[in-house]
Amino acid sequence: MEKLDGAIRYYPGCSLGSSAREMGDSFQELARMLGLEISPLEDWSCCGSSPAHSTNPNLATLLAARNLLLAQEQGVKDLMVMCPSCFVRLKQAEREILTSMEKAQELERVFHRKYRGGVRLRFFLEILEQIGLERVKEIMRNPLHGLKVALYYGCLLSRPDWITGFDVAPYERFIEELVRIAGADPVRWPYSKHCCGASLAVTKPETSDRLVDRIRHYALEAKAQCIVVFCSLCQMNLELRGKASSPLPVLYITELLALAAGSPNARKWLSKHLIDPLPLLREQMSLARSG
Amino acid sequence: MRVDSSFKEEVRKRSGQRFDACFQCLSCAGGCPVVEDMDYNPTQIVRLVEFGQRERVLASKAIWVCVGCHACVSQCPNRVNVPLLMDTLRQMALEQGVEVPEKRIVLFHRTFLAQVRRRGRIYELGLAARYKLASWTLFQDLIAGLKFLWKRKFKFLPEAVKGLSDIRTIWREGDGKA
Repeated sequence: MEKLDGAIRYYPGCSLGSSAREMGDSFQELARMLGLEISPLEDWSCCGSSPAHSTNPNLATLLAARNLLLAQEQGVKDLMVMCPSCFVRLKQAEREILTSMEKAQELERVFHRKYRGGVRLRFFLEILEQIGLERVKEIMRNPLHGLKVALYYGCLLSRPDWITGFDVAPYERFIEELVRIAGADPVRWPYSKHCCGASLAVTKPETSDRLVDRIRHYALEAKAQCIVVFCSLCQMNLELRGKASSPLPVLYITELLALAAGSPNARKWLSKHLIDPLPLLREQMSLARSG
Repeated sequence: MRVDSSFKEEVRKRSGQRFDACFQCLSCAGGCPVVEDMDYNPTQIVRLVEFGQRERVLASKAIWVCVGCHACVSQCPNRVNVPLLMDTLRQMALEQGVEVPEKRIVLFHRTFLAQVRRRGRIYELGLAARYKLASWTLFQDLIAGLKFLWKRKFKFLPEAVKGLSDIRTIWREGDGKA
């Protein structure tokens, strides 16, 4: 696999600096500890998300495509996308423009610019894969002493596979390996890819409650001590919703890795959780010290 | 029961795919996480489109409740793209001025897009406040909302993109009817 050179540009999405600060901050830490130079795509804009593709396909393509044009103009070869939902929207737009003459012409008509297709969209996990598990392992100074985690992939981490290009089984094996390197122990459980209903969390909370309860119930049954997520919407929904099951901390994969790397600034982002993960982590760390 | 044969053609044309590949195995309905909240399950929606049931389909709850999680199409033996069908049907429902039974979902989409239109990005705090005011759900999640503020989970101040002219162009040129 080719080596990464120079600065990595990323597409943060609207949550990363706000409701998903835990992920944004822990990712910055992780990148710093891995010696990666990262900076956001300049003047990025919203991908349009579900509200655009649900109501107006043209708007959805154009909103996402503006970012592809920016990346092209800024000479970005690999654009690392932090949110699985943004990733699917950007990939979808890219595919439409590159495969449909009509869409490509529409883009040119609106922006008076052409998209040539030279930007490679990569989900942030792909960058970690490219860096290599060996390199990630080198910085894991504070492994998590067998913390039992339920990996929650959610809907869009690999779906739809013809858009993401990810082959589910090998992709999951890589993620499990990543988590093991951090010293955590992924449990086997059945609801890792069932939607948590985050997109209805505000408009139909009772539906999200039901879906979150089911997910949490099975995570608890598998003896997981926390849920590990990849998406800011899943994270917030899994902490906010669910009525019938006992709460379970929900950590981003980047938090888990930065913790295991011994980040000195972990408290800054850990304090933002709605379900406080600190008691669990304290217990786990004292186990690590004694054991 | 009125059969509108132009409906099927319209949906095919707009979505760029055919839905008669469905052999009603119900895999999509079985795997749908929100089927309990639908009035017609995904298989029935596909079938109703084929039967030209314009009014019933476009006025259904199902097309709005779909979360687009792609579980259905991932397990469909014929790869009938149900999420794409649902998107297409929602767009048609809005364009044709159908009375939408899931008003809050549409209100959320509109509030969200109004934010994007204004700044090019989502300002989460503003989106939450505006939606809550417009939907009369101020007290739902009040405690959680206060916790978010206390923990400074949301960014307090909005930020806008520099290239707002691009965003304006997108709306002016690409908005269409929705």
